[in-house]
This record gives sequence, C-alpha cells and structure tokens, in this order.
Amino acid sequence: MALTLHPLHPVFAAEVGGVDLTQPVAPETIAAIEAAAAVHAVLVFRDQRITDDQQLDFSRGFGALEETRGTGISKPGEQRLHPAFADVSNLDINNTILARDNRRRLYSLGNMLWHSDSSFKAVPAKYSLLSGRVVADRGGDTEFADMRAAYDALDDATKAEVEDLVCEHSLIYSRETLGFDDLTEAERATMRPVRQRLVRTHPASGSKSLYLASHIGKMIGWPVPEARAFIRDLTEHATQRRFVYAHHWRPFDLVLWDNRTTMHRVRRYDATQVRDMRRTTVAGTAETAAQDAAA
Amino acid sequence: MPISIRPLHPRPDGLPFVGEVTGIDVSRPLTGDEVAAIEAGMDRHAVLVVRDQPLTDEQQCVFSRNFGELEVTLIGQMTRPEDRRLASIELGDISNLDPKGGLRARDDGRRMYALGNRLWHSDASFRAVGAGYSLLSARVVPGRGGNTEFADMRAAYDALDNATKAEIEDLVTEHSIAFSRAQLGFDNYGPGNEDKIRPVRHRLVRTHPVTGRKSLYLSAHIGGIIGWPVPEALGFIRDLTEHATQPDFVHAHVWRVNDLVIWDNRTTMHRARRYNDLRDVRDLRRTSIKGAGPTFAQVLAAAE
Repeated sequence: MALTLHPLHPVFAAEVGGVDLTQPVAPETIAAIEAAAAVHAVLVFRDQRITDDQQLDFSRGFGALEETRGTGISKPGEQRLHPAFADVSNLDINNTILARDNRRRLYSLGNMLWHSDSSFKAVPAKYSLLSGRVVADRGGDTEFADMRAAYDALDDATKAEVEDLVCEHSLIYSRETLGFDDLTEAERATMRPVRQRLVRTHPASGSKSLYLASHIGKMIGWPVPEARAFIRDLTEHATQRRFVYAHHWRPFDLVLWDNRTTMHRVRRYDATQVRDMRRTTVAGTAETAAQDAAA
Repeated sequence: MPISIRPLHPRPDGLPFVGEVTGIDVSRPLTGDEVAAIEAGMDRHAVLVVRDQPLTDEQQCVFSRNFGELEVTLIGQMTRPEDRRLASIELGDISNLDPKGGLRARDDGRRMYALGNRLWHSDASFRAVGAGYSLLSARVVPGRGGNTEFADMRAAYDALDNATKAEIEDLVTEHSIAFSRAQLGFDNYGPGNEDKIRPVRHRLVRTHPVTGRKSLYLSAHIGGIIGWPVPEALGFIRDLTEHATQPDFVHAHVWRVNDLVIWDNRTTMHRARRYNDLRDVRDLRRTSIKGAGPTFAQVLAAAE
C-alpha cells in the first residue's frame, strides 16, 4: 500500500497513512517518509499500537539513535525504558506517578518551553519519534512551530543580522529559566554549553530555518542580557499562531518531527493522571558550528 | 474645548482599551473636572494617549501629582547621584543616555539593567504597594523601533475559562526586580541594594478599586507562586503571560515627540520593543503614582 499524506496545517505537518509500524518497514517506504519529512517537517501516524522494540526498529531506519542516558538527570537503574528511549512520562521505574515536588518532574517541566531536541549536543538530533501510549484526557498537547516559515517571514534586515550569529546552548540555561538549578556538579559537567548557528540550512531541502531553543543562554560576541532579549523576540516571532500546529494526542499516535526545522513544546496537563509517552531520537550527522576548543 | 476621548483599539467584545485624549493642555493647571474626566477615561480605557504635549520635567511632575503622590524610582534609589542624568529621582530616566548625554556603550551596566523593560511587566510590582498610573513623556524618539506595547489584563482575565479562573482566584505570587533581571542573566545590583531586591507578595487576581473589574496581575518580576514548586509556578506564569499578551489584547504605541501616555499598572502590562539604541537617541521620562494599597496583606506575610 502506498504512503498517503494529508496536510494538517496551512504551513506544515501532515498525517501519514498506508503504513503499519508493527511490521518491518521497507527501505523504499523509509525513503518516502524521509522525503515527506523534508517537506512537512512533522508527520503524524495514527493508530500505531507498537511495542518498544518496534519503535526502535522503525526509528533505526532513519539512522543511528541517540542514547539518552548521560544527558538528563536520571541515573542508571532508575530508568523505566531501554536507554535509547527518552521517558517522556510522569512515571517512575515502578510505574507510579511522580510526586508534585519530584526532582525529575520539575526538571522535565522544561519541556513546556519551546525547544529543539538535543540542541545542547554538539551534533544535535535529526528526527524525534514520539509514541503516545497513555495520553492525557485534557491538556498535554504537543505544539510544533515551523522554523522555516519563521525564517522566511523575517524582514531582510533581520535576516542579514542573524545570518552568521552563533548561540550557546545548554540544558542548564533552559532549566534556569524555570528556576530549576538543583543540579549536581557531575550533571553540570555533562551539560557544558555547545555552539550552534542561529540560521541553519536543511541538508535535503536546502531551506533555511531559525535554529532556536530555550536551551540558548548566550550569543557569541553579544552581552548576555541583549542576546537573551533578542532570542526572546525571535522566539515570539517564530512561535506566533500561524506557524504553530497543535497536536492533540490520541492513544497510539506516533509523531515524527525534524528537529532541524521545527521547535516543539508540551502544554500543561493534569499531573495526577498518567501520561506515558516514549521518544526515540535519531542522531544528526554534523555540527552546525565549530565548537570552542577551550570549552 | 472640552476633553474628548476616542478609542484607539476597538475590540469585538466592545470593552474599550486605549483612548486618545484631545482638548487638553497638560502643561497648565487642570480643573477638578478635567482631572475627573481623565480618571474616568483611565478607568474605562486603562491607557490614554495625549499627543503634542511639550513638557518640562517640572510640568510633568506637577501634572502627575493631580493623580496622587509620586513614586521614587528604584533605579534612582540604586544609583549614586553623580551617576544620574536627571536631577529628581521622581523621574524615571527611560533613555539610552549617560549622565553627560552621550549614548551608553553596548556593555554598559545600566543598559543591561534597562533591557529588562523589554519583558512584559507592571511598574513597581516588585514593591509591596505596586504603582497606580505611570506617565511617560517622549522627548526624543528613535527613527525606527522602540514602540511601547500595552496588554489589557482585564480582557486577559475575562477570556480565561472558568476552571482557570477558579484555579488562580486565590493564588499569591512573589515579585522582585531580581527575578526579571535573572531571566536575562543580569544580577549586578551593586552593594547596599539587597533590601531592594527582596521579594514581595501580590495576589494574581486583583480587583480595580473603582470599576470592580478583575484583572490578572502578571509581571516579569514574578519569581514564584506561594505553595507551588518554583519550576511549576514559572511554567504556569509563562503560559498565563502568553495568554494575556496575545495580539487581541495588545496595543502597540508608536511614539511621536511630545506624546504623553498614561497607563494604569493595576490593569495593564507593558514592554518596550527593540530599537537601534547604539545609534539612535530615545529619551523618555516617566513619572509613576503610588498605588493605594497592597494586593496582599503584607503584614500577614511578614508575620510568617
């Protein structure tokens, strides 16, 4: 059965039909999905009752996966899922809902800020694939913003101004924004800032996009407050409603997005109810900017 | 010519926001009726624009005192007299100029502090009694950019769903100048100013003393909600702020020289937009009126 695509939003995002992710996916179908992702940036697959192994198999079709261990604050032995999964749930290893003041919960609230996955790594992520196993009754939407459309809509003076700017990204910055600074020295050491271009070009489509994320804390050559005020303005521009698709989760939706051309965030939900989402992340292949040798 | 007020920001709900006042010269003493007309206009529109009002600093202070006692500015209190450009610390120096009248350098500490004005805020919400009106007079304006945007916190409150209204009704927030500046990575206040960054408490929902309308009391100065974990509080405040500053509730004021804009800090937030401050002069002067009472029983907070 051939892949079908139905647009979900005037600017980007499409629903994909004609593929069953519980079965091995043929290489030509993988290629067709890659081509669709280069255009639509966010792809929604409905009713995919997949296991963790099936999610891993499908995800690996697009490249090597990121190991999420070592970038968060969960320790080995505390993790509910295979190390190639980011556990985007509110559950602990015993499947119990995290308490209100639980450290991992407060840390994960950073996902309410607009971001691009793994922008805090020197080689940032390509795709993320998020499977909704148990979804929130109310709230908990994931919103996506199209950074190509956001770039295109800038005036020429701003395009010229941002063209060669380089930002510093770290998990420390996004967490500080919400007043979370309960990090050990060892955790801080794994979160050392990395550099990313503010304007990046997609390797397949050639389109330029704004590479924004709440992980940004500095801009090279700018005073910090001026950099942050500017990044806030750009983020507000880039996330205006006409560039945003809000995904309302149904059980067993799988959403694939390209982190190179989008930002996303989760919206508030009732934290006393289970929300079990599992993310695999396809690693990128190149840095966007030269790293600081001294860092 | 009598005072008349024309709405500048028509809204579908018919509740006015931002009016332009004509028929008044604020450099001259005002009659009681004129003051009452302006206050009534403020209660209705929350922001009033008066064009073509050339003012001296003294005239601005005299006019402002029609509406109450003047606030002393925080930055004035934190700055040594020889480092101030304006003689009176009742005048907020909303400019990019140093004491000698030159443009401030890119990494100037005062410039870093002032960048906090680009975050949505309500004046002096970091004080136990926040400001009532603020009055901003434009003496020199930049060629491009530098608008001041206003957001209507009454409309923002009205548009919340009932569940959210119930959730926030009795919430109490903590405000400090240090919280807004920390968002931008600024924390250099100089010695002896610790008492000025100590957090104060305010209700999140406040009621206007005259109109009885409820509004959201939001501000970039908020650093927490009493009884909530900090990251959860700040995530929620960001969501509320985004809701409250959506385009329907926002009016952008494009400055002309000699504009005087008056806003009610009890029912609005505002922010400055970017301009080329390393090239263009922007010289605005602000007076603020002391609010009439705390939104939260400070006595109670102090007793804890």
